[in-house]
Amino acid sequence: MNEQRCEHNSNEVRYCLSRREFLLAGGTAITLVALGDLAWAKEKGLALQRASYPRTLVGKVSKLKIDQPIPFAYPWDDAHSQNLLIKLGVPAGGGVGPQRDIVAFNTMCTHMGGPLGGTYKAPHKVLGPCPFHLTTFDLTKHGMVVSGQATESLPQIVLEVSRDQIYAVGVMGLIYGYHDNKAAKA
Amino acid sequence: MGKSDYYYLPEDRVPLPPADAKVRTTACDYCIVGCGYKVYTWPVGKEGGPKAKQNALGVNFPTSILSGKWISPNMHNIAMVDDRPHHVVVIPDGDSKVVNVGGNHSIRGGALAQKIFNSNKPSQERLQAPRMRVRSVLQPVSWETALDVMAGISKYVLEKYGEAAWAMKTYSYQYFENTYALSKLALGTIGTPAFAPHDKPGPGNDTPGVDDAGIDPFGPSYEDWGAADVLFISGTDPYETKTVLFTQWIMFGANPNKKLIFVLPRKTGGVAWGEKRGGLFLNIIPGTDVVLQLAMIRYILEQGWEDREFIDKWVSNQWEIDEGFGRGTRNTPWQWRTTWGKYGIGFEGYKKWILGYKYAELATAEQITGIPAAQIKQAAAMVARPNANGSRPKASFMLEKGNYWCNNYGNTTSFATLGLICGAGNRPGQVIGRGGGHQRGWIGGGSYPRIKSPEKVPGRRKKEIDLDRWVVGGHVRFAWVVGTTWLQAMAGSQELMDVFKKATQGNPHQLASFDTQAAIETLKQRVDSGGMVVVHQDIYPVEPIGTQFADIVLPAATWGEEDFTRCNGERRLRLYSKFYDPPGQSRPDWWIAAQFAQRMGFKGFEWKDSNEVFEEAARFSRGGTLDYYCLVYKAKQEGRRAHDLLRKLGTQGIQTPIRLEGGKLVGTRRLHDSTLKLGTPEGPTVHAKKLTVFNSHSGKAILHRSYWEDFADFWEAVKPKGDELWVTNGRIGEMWQSGFDDKRRPYIMARWPYAFLEIHPEDAKARGIESGDMVSVESDRVYVQTGAYVGIEDDDLTFTKLMERGHIKINSGSFTCVAMVTDAVRQGVAFNYFNWPESPGNAIVPRVPDPITNRYRFKLASAKVRKIGESSYKHSLTTMSFAPRDIA
Repeated sequence: MNEQRCEHNSNEVRYCLSRREFLLAGGTAITLVALGDLAWAKEKGLALQRASYPRTLVGKVSKLKIDQPIPFAYPWDDAHSQNLLIKLGVPAGGGVGPQRDIVAFNTMCTHMGGPLGGTYKAPHKVLGPCPFHLTTFDLTKHGMVVSGQATESLPQIVLEVSRDQIYAVGVMGLIYGYHDNKAAKA
Repeated sequence: MGKSDYYYLPEDRVPLPPADAKVRTTACDYCIVGCGYKVYTWPVGKEGGPKAKQNALGVNFPTSILSGKWISPNMHNIAMVDDRPHHVVVIPDGDSKVVNVGGNHSIRGGALAQKIFNSNKPSQERLQAPRMRVRSVLQPVSWETALDVMAGISKYVLEKYGEAAWAMKTYSYQYFENTYALSKLALGTIGTPAFAPHDKPGPGNDTPGVDDAGIDPFGPSYEDWGAADVLFISGTDPYETKTVLFTQWIMFGANPNKKLIFVLPRKTGGVAWGEKRGGLFLNIIPGTDVVLQLAMIRYILEQGWEDREFIDKWVSNQWEIDEGFGRGTRNTPWQWRTTWGKYGIGFEGYKKWILGYKYAELATAEQITGIPAAQIKQAAAMVARPNANGSRPKASFMLEKGNYWCNNYGNTTSFATLGLICGAGNRPGQVIGRGGGHQRGWIGGGSYPRIKSPEKVPGRRKKEIDLDRWVVGGHVRFAWVVGTTWLQAMAGSQELMDVFKKATQGNPHQLASFDTQAAIETLKQRVDSGGMVVVHQDIYPVEPIGTQFADIVLPAATWGEEDFTRCNGERRLRLYSKFYDPPGQSRPDWWIAAQFAQRMGFKGFEWKDSNEVFEEAARFSRGGTLDYYCLVYKAKQEGRRAHDLLRKLGTQGIQTPIRLEGGKLVGTRRLHDSTLKLGTPEGPTVHAKKLTVFNSHSGKAILHRSYWEDFADFWEAVKPKGDELWVTNGRIGEMWQSGFDDKRRPYIMARWPYAFLEIHPEDAKARGIESGDMVSVESDRVYVQTGAYVGIEDDDLTFTKLMERGHIKINSGSFTCVAMVTDAVRQGVAFNYFNWPESPGNAIVPRVPDPITNRYRFKLASAKVRKIGESSYKHSLTTMSFAPRDIA
């Protein structure tokens, strides 16, 4: 297991990789084998330089209204790290909160980087169609492609809830434009 | 809890190719569009950096929007190159100026890297050694054993039962080198008439009505579709399956404000987009296109909207058809259709005919097609009504399988006629053609020996063998299947499977020894007892023919594992470079054909590499649509290998037919190009007639009458009875063909873990079906033609007469699907994926080909749909989206 301690959480023992697992299980603890790449391990310098995901407060459960997305930047502050926090009103993969319906996704299309920020379709819980090439993404199913050309699901922002606070703590999937989410820190 | 469905765990980084990574060009292995790609390979243990100087892409990361240089994790894999593990990145060519300009791509091509054999990924299921079924188990053997047994039994079958008992069923597209070698063997050398391409029961044109009109269905270039003012698109949403043709050329192109008219019983992403931008969606009842097209033609003629100037110059009159022999030479399948009175006709005669033809009346058309008359009139106006200033809208006409796999001849003749009276067919932005399915990778190494076929239509005209009916009739003793899911891909597939099972597994003579002679002797007993020997050659085990029925299974090397060539949908020829080692002992198909041929004692199969095959095949392309002879000639002049000259042209390649002008290679933008000026042919250049005029003796296009009555008896028989629904089928962008690669992609499997059935909310409600339910689709009315190889009287081969003469058997078929309830399909119509091998949709499709053209009516079936339970995906949060595909 290629575990990595997250530097932003020195008070608690957290493992970035286990967050990804946690997210995929939709709240159920399961164990997955991480796909460690031997090539990275050999490049020790590179591994050490890679930052971990920050833990960032992105909203409050009590303030969210169903189908009203709220933009936020994560994990960094550049043009690629733009996301939406949405209370879908239906349980979703990786959803947090009492109804497990609060999710967050990066809004750059994983096809060619099209802006999805204003494309939320409440009746279908879908982001898209992308204005460039019409890809749509299902936010109830970890951002999988519904119809379209993206070769990856929409990167899902891993959320945690502490009382009323919603924190972003990781990203599942490579954000368009980056070659490494963690190395992209400006 | 405790339930685990498919899930996809994405990566959050991708290794960058270092500046010294090796780069090669290729094109996509999948759809007709053939986007250009670059392949970067470098040894594992090394990575490039995010600065432009540190990586082979020469860009800074993060890359910008639309950079065409971003590598998604699914574009990366690990492969063995020269026996050592290498990183491989397969990325759309961001520098491309043609096809996928700037690195545009589909979801299929974008994940090409996952096609690569990687023994740590699902692609590890690739076939790696020849296998022979001994004592019921397919066990690895040597190439020598497998090929010796094949040659031994083939010699016996050819000598004792003749060529027609030795069959080949093969893909028609998987690269020139392979199709040439296979057809040189089967057609040119053995000369068997028992030969069929992957998607039809015998060779021949897919859209014969378009061909008969004198129009090459792959004449247009992508920029023509882009330059049109209005597109009439029938039987396909190119967004799904010809993606970049849509997302590059239709959405943008020279005229991004073009209007789209779609004719389909189902709405998908491209249709929704077109409709939102002032287009039209004609929601048609399956199989009735001919009536719609005739009604549009009649209305246009009534309004006087036809392009008279074009018709006068470019459409044949009656004399030019009859005395000019129509489209072709006597006694060919197309000659009688164009000339002998029933179909081909001059414009004045056509006009007179259609103005008196009741199935072209608007009211009748509305009733048969289910499309309101007002919409039919609106569509006619969009394609044909002159603008206020007297100019005409530039209308182009695209058709695909939803059109031509219903009522093959009637739909395609009326489609071509509709386009022609609107002035389309031979000018920039005004074209008629196919969107296309697979790429154009066929070079015939021999002609089909029609003279040996026992089949004929009334009159003296021979027609190709319907190979499925030929097998069912018990006439085949040896069948060699190359790269296709034969059984599920054909119509009435349940019976075909039963016949294969009986003739192979069900035969008492089964191999019990690895001894070559003993094996051949056993197989001789097999064929002498009415059984069949089956060889399956592919990249993966194909259920059930390659796993349950084949005696010998041969592992093929494919895309990326050998240098190959072929053309895309605008005839653009490229080299598909080899960049890694093929798995195990797999070999390219041309090599396998050559090794077999040599064991048979045939001459002319001594090629040392794929380039030698490519160079030899060039002369068989001369004068044709895919003519690349001048490229080989030029390479020889320069002392190079032809593959290497093509390699220099990269992802741009060159459009065939290729000509020499001033010593330089010149491509052909479009066929039938009335704007093209040609001088004297230079060197070996052939100026084929179709370069500048239509493909007929007069050089003018030919109109054909299209009769609903030719087809109505079959349509009436098939249409839903009682609580049946129409069940039609087609494609989705996320899957390619039978899903042979997609099923090895965790990303795609989470999206599509199983076959689906789209069903209208009203039809679902009546059956208590919700999205995610598992449903059965069953028909006890699967019409299957038996015998009737020969027609004598005019109507002998019509459905009505076949019924009367006892040549139609009624079978049954069934499969399961996961329901998706959506109003994207027409009420009364359900839609399933066309070829999901574990969910054999074609089991309910009638196996009664169009008697005029021998093409199946794949898109027409009726069945009962019933809920049988819930799929595990119904409540899953990781697997299978049930959101609609037509969100605009």
